[in-house]
Amino acid sequence: MDHRRARTLNLGDFWQGDDLDPLRAPPDFTEWRSATMAEQAIFQRPLTSASGPRTSFLLHGERREVINLASLDYLGLNGDPRLVAAARDALQHWGTGACGVPLLSGTTTLHRELERQVSASVGAPSTMLFPSGFSGGFGLMSGLLRRGDVAIADEKAHMCWLDGIRSSGARLVLYRHEDPKSLDEALTEHRTKRRLVVVDGLYSMDGDLADLPRLLDVCDAHGVGLIVDEAHSIFALGENGGGATEVHGEQRRVRLLFGTFSKSIASLGGFASGDEELLEYAKLYSHPYGFSAALPPAIVATNIEAIRIARTEPERRRRLADNAAYFRRAVCGLGLDIGLSTTHVVPILVGGERDLLYDAALAMLERGLYILPIDYPAGPEDRVRFRASISAGHSREDLDTALGIIEDCVVRPLRARGKLAT
Amino acid sequence: MNRDDILTVVRKHLAGVLDGVEAASIDPARSMKDYGANSLDIVEVVSASMRELRLKVPRSELSKLTNMDGLVDLLHKVATEKSATP
Repeated sequence: MDHRRARTLNLGDFWQGDDLDPLRAPPDFTEWRSATMAEQAIFQRPLTSASGPRTSFLLHGERREVINLASLDYLGLNGDPRLVAAARDALQHWGTGACGVPLLSGTTTLHRELERQVSASVGAPSTMLFPSGFSGGFGLMSGLLRRGDVAIADEKAHMCWLDGIRSSGARLVLYRHEDPKSLDEALTEHRTKRRLVVVDGLYSMDGDLADLPRLLDVCDAHGVGLIVDEAHSIFALGENGGGATEVHGEQRRVRLLFGTFSKSIASLGGFASGDEELLEYAKLYSHPYGFSAALPPAIVATNIEAIRIARTEPERRRRLADNAAYFRRAVCGLGLDIGLSTTHVVPILVGGERDLLYDAALAMLERGLYILPIDYPAGPEDRVRFRASISAGHSREDLDTALGIIEDCVVRPLRARGKLAT
Repeated sequence: MNRDDILTVVRKHLAGVLDGVEAASIDPARSMKDYGANSLDIVEVVSASMRELRLKVPRSELSKLTNMDGLVDLLHKVATEKSATP
C-alpha cells in the first residue's frame, strides 16, 4: 500500500476485522500500519519524563523537552511532592497491592476514607470506587441496565457509556448533541420502557459544558434520572471543584455523578457518587467492580491527598481557567476555529484536512510542542482536530511558545491551502 | 449474487440490532437512522453485511450514502466487479 493511499484510510476502514479469523489482524490493516509508520509514531509515543506542563521524548536518538498540551493533568498536580510522599508512606504501610477484589478482601480503611472524601467533595451521600474511569462507566451501565431497557445518551457521550449500554443488552439511543428537544423526543418515543439518560459534564473532544439545567428539566418532566460523567471537569471546574454539576448548581437534581482520578487528580481510578442503596446494588452487579482487583493502597492514598489539595487550593482552578481563557482567545486571534470550547479542553479544528493534521503534528513535535491529532472515528470526519489540554501548571511562556509553533505549523499551511483567511 | 440477495442480508443485520423491527418490513428507500439505528449500529450492520457477502468497500465511499438502496447498489456493484475479475 503506498503512503498516499494509506493516508486516506483510518480506523473506520478496519473495524470489520479479518474475513475468517478473529485472532488475526486483517492484512490491509497491517499494510496500512506499515505505510503510515511516521504518523503512527505520534501515538503511544513513550515519554521519557513525567507528564506535566512539559515532558520529554526521544527524538532522533536524543532526549528532547517539549511543551505538553496532551496531558490531562489539569491542575498541575502530577509529581507534586505531597502526592509522592503520600504514595510512598502508603507503600511502606500497605505494601504494593490490594491483593483482592473490593467485594471480597481488597477493601482497606484507606478505600473507605477515599469514598468519604469524594462524597464530601461532591455533596453526595455515598460513593463507590472503580479501578479505572472506563471500567466505571462501562460497569455502571452493564450492572444497572437490562435487556428491554433504553439508555439515552448525548451523541458525544464517552465510549465507556456506549460500550457498557450495548454490553447490557439495553437499547442505546443517541440524541443530538446538547439538544433538549431531541432528548425529549427520545424520551417520549421510549416512554413505555425503563429509561436513564447519560451525558458528559465536559465533552472531551469539544471542550463544551453540558447545559444541565435544560437537560434536567426535560428529564424531570419524564421522571427519568440523569447521570453526569465529570471525568474532565471534576476538581477542575466549579468553586469547590464539583465539576459542571456545581457550575450549574444542580447537585440535588443529578441522580448519579461520575468522575475519575486520572485527570485533575493525576492518579488512577473512577468513582460514582449518589444514592447509597443504588451503589450497594451496583457493587454486586457491576462486574468491573466485582471482578477487578481493588485500587492499590498507594494509589488510594495519592487520590486522598490530591483531593485534599484540590479542595484547599482553589487558586489552581483559577489559574487553569485563566490559562484556558488566554489560550482560547489567542487561538481564535490566529483565525483558528475552536468549535464549541469554553473550557480547558480546546480543540483546534482543521476541517477535513487529515493530511495536514498529521504533517503538522509531526512538525510541531520537531519544534518542541506535543499536541495530539484527533482523527475519525474519535470525532467527525469533516472536522478533524488537534486537542489542546491546558493545565494550571502551564506558564504564560509555555503557552506563548506553543501558540508560536501552532501559528507556524497549522495557521500557515491552512492559509496556503486557502482554508483560512489571511 | 443478485441485488435482492444483498438486500436480504442488509435487512437481516439491521433487524438484528433493532428492537421490534421485522426484516421484511424494512424499506430500503429509507435510511437506517430512520429506523432508530445509531452510528455504532450502522457500522455494525454494514460491517456484518460486508463480511457475510465477502465484500469490502472503502469507508470513504460508504460515507456518501444516504439510504439503504444506495448501500445495496454499491455492494452489488462491488460484487459484480469482483465476480468479473479472473
